[in-house]
Amino acid sequence: MSHHLFLLSPSDTPLYQLTHYSSKPAQTTTSPLASNLPSWSTSAFAGTLTALSGATSASQAHHAQGGNIRIGGGQDRHVIQMIANASLDVIEEVMRKENAMYLKSVDKFNEWTVSAFVTPGNMKFVLLHETRNDDGIKAFFNDVWELYVKTMLNPFHTAHTPIRSTVFDTRVRASAKKYL
Amino acid sequence: MEPLAFASLAHVRVLLLPVGNIRKPDFERWAGEIAGFESIRLGDIPSHSKDDRARFMPNPLSSGFLHLSFTTHPAPTSHVPLSLIRPSDFPLGVIGIASCSQTDALSSVLADFNEVVSNLFPEGATYPLAKNCFVFEESDGNTNIDVGNHFPGLVVIPALLGNKQLHIGTLLADLCSNILGEFATVMQALESPLGNEYLNASIFPTLPPPSDLPRSLDHEIRSHDSLPPLPSQHSQPELATTSGALRSKTPLPLKRNSTIASGLMPPRHASLPPPSAKKKPAVIGAASSHGRLFKVTGDLFLLAGRLEDSEIWYSEALALLKGTQDTAWHAAALEGSAVIQIVQAWASTANEPSDVELWSDILDKLKQASALYHRTTPQTESESTFSLLTYLYTHSVLRQALLLFSVWSTKGWGPHAFSMMMHPDGSFYSPLANSSAPSRRRSFHSDLERLTTISGISRAQIASILTQIHGPWLLHLDERERIVVLQALASIYGALGYCRKEAYILREVLGCVMDLIVCGREDETPIRTPNPGLGIRGITFDGEPASQGVIGVREVEPVEGNDSILRVVKQICKIHGVDLEAVKLTYVSDRQDFTTMEGNGFEEAGNVAETTEAPFGWPELQIGIVREALAVAEALPDYPSVAQFSLSSLKTLHEVMSQAEQYQMYQAATRALAIAKRRGDSRTVEYWSGKPIVSLEILPLPLPRLPMEKPLSLLVQEFTSRGHVIAGYTDPFLYNPRRQSGRAQSTLVQGEPFEVVITLRNPFVFDLELQSIRLSTSGVPIESESITLTVPANSYHPVKLSGKALHAGTLVIRGCVVQAPGGAPCEFTLPLATDDEEDKRGGQQNANECDMERVKRSGLDARGWEKRRSRLSGVDLGSTGQGAKPTIRHLECKVIEEQPLLRIRRTSLTHGAVMLYNGETSTIRLVLENVSSLPVDFLALSFDDSTIGPARQTLADDNLPVFETYETEYDLIYRPVFSWDKNQSPHSIHPGEKTTLTLNCFGKVGCTNGTINVSYAYVHRPQANLQKPPDVFHTRQLSFSALVTVYHMLECDSMDILPYPQDAALVAHHGGDDTPELQAMKSVMKIPDAVDWCLFSITVRNTYGIPFQVTFRRHQAGVDDASTTALVPPGSSTRLLIPIKKISLSMEQTTKPVPTLSDKQFVVTKSSLTSAEEHAQRELFWYREELFRTVHGEWKEGGGARQGSLSLRQQRMSMRMLEALRLETTRVQMSLVPCDEGDAGKSIASNQAGTRFLPSSDEFVCLRIKVTNLSPSALVLSLNVNLDPSSHIISQGVLSNIPLGRLGSGDFHESEVPLVFISCGRFDLRVEVESLNSSGDLTQVGRGLLRATVMAS
Repeated sequence: MSHHLFLLSPSDTPLYQLTHYSSKPAQTTTSPLASNLPSWSTSAFAGTLTALSGATSASQAHHAQGGNIRIGGGQDRHVIQMIANASLDVIEEVMRKENAMYLKSVDKFNEWTVSAFVTPGNMKFVLLHETRNDDGIKAFFNDVWELYVKTMLNPFHTAHTPIRSTVFDTRVRASAKKYL
Repeated sequence: MEPLAFASLAHVRVLLLPVGNIRKPDFERWAGEIAGFESIRLGDIPSHSKDDRARFMPNPLSSGFLHLSFTTHPAPTSHVPLSLIRPSDFPLGVIGIASCSQTDALSSVLADFNEVVSNLFPEGATYPLAKNCFVFEESDGNTNIDVGNHFPGLVVIPALLGNKQLHIGTLLADLCSNILGEFATVMQALESPLGNEYLNASIFPTLPPPSDLPRSLDHEIRSHDSLPPLPSQHSQPELATTSGALRSKTPLPLKRNSTIASGLMPPRHASLPPPSAKKKPAVIGAASSHGRLFKVTGDLFLLAGRLEDSEIWYSEALALLKGTQDTAWHAAALEGSAVIQIVQAWASTANEPSDVELWSDILDKLKQASALYHRTTPQTESESTFSLLTYLYTHSVLRQALLLFSVWSTKGWGPHAFSMMMHPDGSFYSPLANSSAPSRRRSFHSDLERLTTISGISRAQIASILTQIHGPWLLHLDERERIVVLQALASIYGALGYCRKEAYILREVLGCVMDLIVCGREDETPIRTPNPGLGIRGITFDGEPASQGVIGVREVEPVEGNDSILRVVKQICKIHGVDLEAVKLTYVSDRQDFTTMEGNGFEEAGNVAETTEAPFGWPELQIGIVREALAVAEALPDYPSVAQFSLSSLKTLHEVMSQAEQYQMYQAATRALAIAKRRGDSRTVEYWSGKPIVSLEILPLPLPRLPMEKPLSLLVQEFTSRGHVIAGYTDPFLYNPRRQSGRAQSTLVQGEPFEVVITLRNPFVFDLELQSIRLSTSGVPIESESITLTVPANSYHPVKLSGKALHAGTLVIRGCVVQAPGGAPCEFTLPLATDDEEDKRGGQQNANECDMERVKRSGLDARGWEKRRSRLSGVDLGSTGQGAKPTIRHLECKVIEEQPLLRIRRTSLTHGAVMLYNGETSTIRLVLENVSSLPVDFLALSFDDSTIGPARQTLADDNLPVFETYETEYDLIYRPVFSWDKNQSPHSIHPGEKTTLTLNCFGKVGCTNGTINVSYAYVHRPQANLQKPPDVFHTRQLSFSALVTVYHMLECDSMDILPYPQDAALVAHHGGDDTPELQAMKSVMKIPDAVDWCLFSITVRNTYGIPFQVTFRRHQAGVDDASTTALVPPGSSTRLLIPIKKISLSMEQTTKPVPTLSDKQFVVTKSSLTSAEEHAQRELFWYREELFRTVHGEWKEGGGARQGSLSLRQQRMSMRMLEALRLETTRVQMSLVPCDEGDAGKSIASNQAGTRFLPSSDEFVCLRIKVTNLSPSALVLSLNVNLDPSSHIISQGVLSNIPLGRLGSGDFHESEVPLVFISCGRFDLRVEVESLNSSGDLTQVGRGLLRATVMAS
């Protein structure tokens, strides 16, 4: 089971990305419709379509039951990013109406559930996950926020500067290990 | 593609087909007319209630509606298994549309129609149930096509008919009546045991083939008819002709009683054939056997508009299906019953109170249905089952979403929502069509929110339903269905304002479409794609927009082919913050024609913003999407678009791209442009890489060619270099308004090349090739070549462009025209930066930086163009009051007429170096050649050397005393290193001629180098017209610099002036056999009267290695010239003497202030001297000047020919020297004479030189005092005599204030004082002469001394 964390600046630019593989098994409830998918075309465009519709990961899951290796490189990573980006639509709407910083399970797409955390500076932390783990995610987000605020204390760090600090990275990873 | 309707389950679908050679606009017009009938009153439908076909006919006087929907595409063949579970998806009726003018053409029209129908619908298909062909008469008016009953299934609509609408309505009602009749037939087939067995056989059953059905006798006969027969007028010709057997008539009318009862509980007949239960026991439970049948009945009643009946049958079906495994049918029945409620609500719009919670029931049903579909596990693993199940699932979810969306977008549950669900029109997906302009994104959002508030449905709610559609199962769908579903999905997302999700889905749509295109091409099938139902027809692969029916990717533009696809691509990219149209496409029409980028317009603002703007978006995604866009454009193929896309993305994204990516993009663009050009595409891209020019400047002409403007009046006045030398070329005024400021126009010469340096910028990591870059100018025509160059990666690159002005006048250099390879040329202008401009730009930059820091916009509003737009709109509002914007100034330069050109052919110097002794003068010769075709008629020389600068500097410091200033200035003016005799030089040089200039060079210690500047001009030009000649002319300058070495070898010091000693005069008068040196010395010293002379002496030291002969000459008026010469050996010094006659200067002359030689303005003399001191100083100054005018030093190289002058200017004069030099005012001559008258001839003895008297003591002597007035004016004098020691002298008379009276100039007065020396010894007798001036004061003007040595007599 994997988690994908993105820290998005107000202009939708990712400042930090993390893919975290947790040891917990994914409980997949796949629809019968999602099985037995045809492989009907070999053109590159069909490949895009297959990936975007989530068919690739579904068939992978089918082949490697319970395997942790879900996310390969290239295409799938791109899809994950597309989903995270697309979920901003919903996040923006919900955040207009709600005061909470933690927007839990704000969106669902394909097999992914999207939770988000909006800081007062309009940074958006977007997490893609597969199972419900509200409390863990909330704690995780709070950790990341604290770390982020500490990073922002650097006077040379603006809202658009990518976070490349290794300290930040290791701490976020530790927190992910702890809560996710 | 028709928009998906919520209530499609209640629509009787009718297929409209073009028949014969009807033209497209005609077809569309008639189809439009027909499609105008969205619903038909049940009461209007003719009822044929005679037989069993009347089962689905409307009750008389019923008030319901039959809903119609029209399509131009038949259902795909793969959907045939759905024909019973979803009859509304199939065209139940077919209408052919033909236009015809000839009666005899009708038969062929009918044959065509039948052929088309039989092609479209395979044998044995259940549908269509009825068909008809409408022939619209062409309106030539004369023909009256008489049909009669010759052509059944064909109706002619005369052109003359006024109310066609009404007629068409009637015809449609007829058709519907037929369809309803056929419903009964279908029903009959299903109700038969065999039919029911078939119905329950599989998840997606079909009607049993006609052959399986028991046949009735009367149809036996018909089945033998082999030809297309003439069936009864309203039967289905297709079924009759193709199968030859009417399925429906045979079985026993099982249910007639129930249908007539219409609304009672249908009896549950256990008429299920046992074989089916045996065959598929797992699939169909025994109890559910009638569930499907009832559901189909409900469907058909729903289609027939009999809602009450339908509801009853549905509820029956639901009751039967509930507990079973037959989930798909259960779900379908739920959907049907949900739709009924909407149709009912629509029918009774007027009085229905809007209840907010009404839809929740419907929504529940639909949700349940979707969940059931989702759960359904197909037993057979055939792909088509998956495909069909997915189809049903996605559509049911879509139906849910549409329910909410309709209510949301029409502001609540009400008539609008119902009609939207029943008959969606084109503007279905854009509830806020008027406000969807992106400029009003804010209000757009608030509008969306308002909809939510009114309707009580949040957008997130709709979106969460929509996400259920999306999943891997989409792959099960076939292409057409997938596109339909995705497109609907994208449209709703778009309407909700979820742009990013819309973009996501659009990418998938694009994937589908492009896959079809690519696969279609790979198969190399002809243009027609294998599946006609797909609607991808007529795509031509040569890049031209397909003619018709291409994939309408968005519902807006269904016919534009490539353009539409590219538009989708651009839309996707735009949402992700990539402007694929950042570089525009242009048409190559004329090479001269180019667009202009104004340097300071909005374009500039954009450029500035570009550099400092905060990046927007997700770089990885952006690059991925751009790559996809390129792939799409390449696959289409549309090469100009490929170039456009890659260049635009380079322009906007190069900061986040890796080097390899940038390079690839650039390569792709270059390649694509080359291909586009090869294929003769008329489009090409504009110049793309931002603004390449950073700066532009005219290189100053090389110094020999640089013309300098001089006023013509300069020629008239004496060309003196005096002032210039002293003051340099600086202006005497600190502020001179007439002087042009530093930003002066540069001057160019007609017909001579000039060079412009342009600095180009390349922010990319690859070398940027520019096909051509040339100057863009206005004003005087120029001749300029364009050049090709490569700007190195990531650098600023200066490049020189040369040009030649063809006429005199003003040349404006606007900028340059740049053309990238294969692109269109584009002009970039570079205006001069004014202060306003700078301020504005600075302000903008600050604003941008401010924006960078604080985030004012987030999300999609943070995209660059959104920001800029709002900023600009703000600026527009603010600047309306300011009026016109300032005019733009460009770099201007003045082109003057042709000028002559000289060059230095040769010089007399070797290696340009001069070696001189201090004070030596040599000559330099310069040979000038006129290499131009114009004569030179003005020549002027000016010089500069290394001593001038420091001297000027000290002068400028202004702290020098007056005397020093004079010395420095004298040095500069009268002893220049270079000098030139103007009058001896030639005044004109004709073309091709040579001339020689001779210059003097004077050795001056401290000079290391010098420059000779020759200014020349062609002043007296022939005037072409009568215009007043300009009052300026232009000179050019030739410079020649020489190295000067000056050896310092002789030093003068300790100048002194002494009174001429009497003894010396005596010696000089004595002859003797002396050495020649001594004799020369004596001849110098020989003077007539020692009293009038003084002695000048100076020491000359030789510090050099060779001996020098030094001569001092005296030139004095009234006296013979004399000179004294000495050889000064190396290392030694010699003192030279020369007598000088005393000098007398008038009072007026000596009281003049020390003059200044320059034109310097003195404001205040900053001297703190008293008047007496000042007087003394002036006197010293003037006598010194006079002395130097009298005495000149010269030197001559010992044994050599070189000679020069020796300057005395270093020497100072003291007051004592002045006394010796100056002629006394009165001269006092004293002598002792015997007192006795008798001893007149006897004189008192004196020594040889007469300087000392030797009287004897105790004798009476007379002291004779002769006072001569040497001054030019008369004086009143008195005399004081002082005798020392007075105690030993006895005198007679008064000794003080002896009046002498007024003495005229040159007069003398003698007075005598008798006295007796009464002891031996030495006596000093002193006389002082005092003059009485006008104010009554006494001033001493002369004195005398007489020494007497008294010896005892």
